[in-house]
Amino acid sequence: MAIEKQQLEHLARLANLEFGGEELEKFKEGFEEMVAFCDGINHAVAGDTSSIRGVDSRTIDFEDLREDTAQPSLAAEKVLSNGQSSNGYFTVRRVVK
Amino acid sequence: MNYRLVSGFETHVELATASKIFCGCSTKFGAKPNTHCCPVCTGQPGSLPVLNKKVVEYAIRAGLATHCTINAVTHLDRKNYSYPDLPKAYQISQYDRPLCEHGYIELDSGKRIGITRIHIEEDAGKLVHERGFTYIDYNRGGVPLIEIVSEPDISSPEEAREYVEKLQLIMRYIGVSDCKMQEGSMRCDVNVSLSQDGVMGTRTEIKNMNSVTFIERAIIYEAARQREILEGGGRVEQATLRFDEATGETYVMRTKEDAQDYRYFPEPDLLTVVIPQEKIDEIAAHMSELPVQKRARYLSLGISAQNANLLCRYRAVCDFFDACLKADAGARHAANLIVGTIYAALPTEEDKEAFALPFAAEEFAKLVKYVDGGKINFTLAQITLSEMLKKGGAVSDYIKEEDLAGISAGELESLCIQAVAANPAAAADYRAGKHKAIGSFFGYIKRATGGRADIKAAEQVLKRLLSD
Repeated sequence: MAIEKQQLEHLARLANLEFGGEELEKFKEGFEEMVAFCDGINHAVAGDTSSIRGVDSRTIDFEDLREDTAQPSLAAEKVLSNGQSSNGYFTVRRVVK
Repeated sequence: MNYRLVSGFETHVELATASKIFCGCSTKFGAKPNTHCCPVCTGQPGSLPVLNKKVVEYAIRAGLATHCTINAVTHLDRKNYSYPDLPKAYQISQYDRPLCEHGYIELDSGKRIGITRIHIEEDAGKLVHERGFTYIDYNRGGVPLIEIVSEPDISSPEEAREYVEKLQLIMRYIGVSDCKMQEGSMRCDVNVSLSQDGVMGTRTEIKNMNSVTFIERAIIYEAARQREILEGGGRVEQATLRFDEATGETYVMRTKEDAQDYRYFPEPDLLTVVIPQEKIDEIAAHMSELPVQKRARYLSLGISAQNANLLCRYRAVCDFFDACLKADAGARHAANLIVGTIYAALPTEEDKEAFALPFAAEEFAKLVKYVDGGKINFTLAQITLSEMLKKGGAVSDYIKEEDLAGISAGELESLCIQAVAANPAAAADYRAGKHKAIGSFFGYIKRATGGRADIKAAEQVLKRLLSD
């Protein structure tokens, strides 16, 4: 299945990924393979779908949902330990102009 | 050209649960940054969300209160976008099967503003942009929200105000949210377009409005801006706008070209929720009275429409008033004293919303019952109440048993005769047609009784005496 370069650029932008020109070409091949694989699933079930279980086949009853009780959270140092932080806040390069 | 304003709302309401929607972290407002966080709400790999039962219950309440159909089978979906306020790079929300659909809110005019849907979702973290950095606090991330989407049925800034105020009041009455716009627990995205001779125009969306006054101003400004473009022969560009509170103008955040593509798909980490009809019925049966129902009940007690409206504006006031009624206080005197004397001591909206008084409703009810029983007059009740508001305490601290003898009809008659005899000049003036002169006798009677006499009753007696 052919993917337009433009579509890939759009997806990359949505996913916050940057590709150089060559990288994009290479990624395009791999991506087409992935889409072809998924497409295969579509073809496989195109005929009889009665045996395919839909999203809503795995259910939970209202009563079995979690009770609303607050539990202790993690220590802030632990929460922040995997990222850049300052004064208790995570920090990233400014995202608005 | 005939332009007509067309506006619809997307309103986010934070639900007043103890824990977040998918984890046990606290939802309390105002904690130190990133102290209400865990692997689930910071999106750590391998962590799994578990849906909070109360979120579903509160959303059902909201749906029932706005005449929605409740979908007994509902699932959650992933809404994908990359922004630092979402640690998972997706928000768990609802797409094609929201919990509630097809409701409405009725305005005072009888016009109905349609509710398209109400769905549950998680809030994002809070971002603060300063100098070269964006600072992130994930305490708000995962706090439960309902998003209430209206039909584009709103056709004036006044209707917009009424819609928001009604929605806010309903949510407060049913106890699902405090809806404090200034704290962000209720926020509105406002869509605005102008239709020309019945043809729909291009709409713009003003994001994240957190004050009713600003919503009104933003709509007025945006409608005027679009009108100017259209009248100049131009075209309104579809865009997301931000309202600048300082200048009162809207400016463009992003245009259609940067519109998000959320690539929704069913959330694989959560099961589809099935809500038995009996559960929905049970939630409906335990719903507290809604503003319209409360207002109707108050009117049936003989309260004026104006007072009923003023009482129903604040849930805490209604709770207080209902407690007075339960303690057998008369509705009309109680309403008059609350709306007159107590409101005067609570000048701001926040004061009235909180309605924190230095005495209990039962104590206030005692005072009202003295007025109801004719033991003190309304003026003395007002004076006593003002003192109680300042200093607190019990009614018995202000009004002694011996003050409560009341003035019998016979005593009142003789007091009036004395008053007329003591002031012959005023009596002559009254008889000569200067009816204002009757006020001179009131002073005499008030002094003689320490304010206990019923002045209205005295007026009747005096008029009779003076016309003889």
